[in-house]
Amino acid sequence: MIRPAGDTVRPADDRGMRLEAVTVRYRGLAALDGVSLRVAPGERVGLVGPSGAGKTTLLRVFNGSVRPSEGRAVVLGHDVSQLSPAGLRRLRSVIGFVHQDLSLVPNQRVVRNVLSGKLGQRSFAGSVRMMLFPRRLEELHVHGILERVGVQEKMYERTDRLSGGQRQRVAIARALYQEPVALLADEPVSSVDPARARDTVDLLTSISREQGLTLCMSLHNLALAREFFPRLVGLRHGRVVFDGPTAELTDAQFDDLYHLAREEMLADGNGNGAAVPPGVL
Amino acid sequence: MTTGLKGPPDVGVPVDYRAALPSGPRRLGTRRAVLLLITVTGVWAAFHLQLDPRGLIPDGGGLRLAGRFFGAALTPALTYEASFVPEGAPPFLQKVINAMAVTVSFAAAASSLSLIFGVPLAFVSSQAWWASGDEGAGARRVIHAVGPVVYGVSRVVIGLSRSVHELLWAVLFLAAMGLTPLAAVVAIAIPYSGTLAKVFSEMIDEAPRDTARALRDAGAGPLSVFFFGLLPRALPDMLSYAFYRFECALRSAAVLGFFGIPTLGLFIRESFTNAQYHEVWTYLYAMFALVLVADAWSGRIRRRLVA
Repeated sequence: MIRPAGDTVRPADDRGMRLEAVTVRYRGLAALDGVSLRVAPGERVGLVGPSGAGKTTLLRVFNGSVRPSEGRAVVLGHDVSQLSPAGLRRLRSVIGFVHQDLSLVPNQRVVRNVLSGKLGQRSFAGSVRMMLFPRRLEELHVHGILERVGVQEKMYERTDRLSGGQRQRVAIARALYQEPVALLADEPVSSVDPARARDTVDLLTSISREQGLTLCMSLHNLALAREFFPRLVGLRHGRVVFDGPTAELTDAQFDDLYHLAREEMLADGNGNGAAVPPGVL
Repeated sequence: MTTGLKGPPDVGVPVDYRAALPSGPRRLGTRRAVLLLITVTGVWAAFHLQLDPRGLIPDGGGLRLAGRFFGAALTPALTYEASFVPEGAPPFLQKVINAMAVTVSFAAAASSLSLIFGVPLAFVSSQAWWASGDEGAGARRVIHAVGPVVYGVSRVVIGLSRSVHELLWAVLFLAAMGLTPLAAVVAIAIPYSGTLAKVFSEMIDEAPRDTARALRDAGAGPLSVFFFGLLPRALPDMLSYAFYRFECALRSAAVLGFFGIPTLGLFIRESFTNAQYHEVWTYLYAMFALVLVADAWSGRIRRRLVA
């Protein structure tokens, strides 16, 4: 694997993520409020909670793009507040992030969208070379990953010719092409139909199992969360309201999480139940 | 259903519907005011210039001339209209095709030159180029020091180059350099570079940012994010606009013929002064054909890129 010079080699056991009393404030509003959380290497954690609960912020702290206002976030053995911009980039380059809106370049071929996953591990000159003249070996690697997510026959098609579900797989393939040690997914299934949503969660969790990848996914669909994640973390108002093995969580706890949020929404009158404007999260 | 309206509507008392609407600035009022202002300005300008629709109707001589000119539109010349043709002159259609080729080559040279200067200028004059925040401490210091200066200078350069029309640049350059092809090409390329830079930078700044964010989340550096996350999202629009500017360059190159460079404009002027209107129309149709071909070509490329 090619890495920019100066990359530190992480010990194999240092692949977990840890938050210690992390608070994140946006213009005075606390998106996360004293959250402590430990995710073991290879663990699969589902994040549930109403909109504006802080799920996205939590994921962004995990990939170092949001720094804690208070507390400590230790990701893959690095305190993210201590890392230089270059160090943060290197950290992010080994953490795959699947976004809700997929964020692909629509008028580009699938192969290029996947290749762009490795831009964080190349110099700019190396990136230009890779994007314009991909090597045979790189294309083979991309093909292998597309095969794993089930869209290998679309490799040279333009991305906007693909269906929504296929594009989602391309976005996942781009994250996997990073050869990540951890995967973060922010509501990856909120914009697809239920059958597709189930397939996608299934795909991500089985990849995580196969490759021993740490997986943190936020999702609205409680049924899917309970089916596929051995551990669930419930967030509300930036606080952890429950955290434990899925089997031990009661229906009442889930009801609580969403029910209270609903009451607050009604009380507000405008449907703005979120403590923090949704755009911020 | 509760509506929040005050008073039952069946009593005949008008409901105070304004109270039911959210308070705040009344945008609708502003819009009406702007519309009124535009209308008033237009009417005032017409009076100021003493525009009179009756001026559109030509007098006897003018009417005859217009009749002859537009009558020739149906029968463009295929051979020289004049009875005397100098020895060794190429066949008329050959001359038209040559003029078309020269027009295209001037437009192509000017467009290429304006891309060479306009594209880098567009990058440094876009907000997105300077606003990444992911660079190292050293790089950030440099950017903080030179960024505002380069950005400001590029904006001024764009403004200056755009504010003077290519015809004025042509007058200036032809006076300074004489009647050389380079003078004409540079005269077109200067305002075109500025326009391209301005429009390109706006397209880059308005392009969707989601891919850029995703690449940043994958650890990509600021340059990679710009070139592989942002630029590809703006590229289809940029390409389409570049083709449109090429079309404009065809027209500009033709018009510069009035200064004596051998593009279509030169021959249009010559034939027009000699009252050879059939020839004029042949040249006009040639111009029309050029623009049409450029348009079809750009349409094909854009379809391949976008749809």
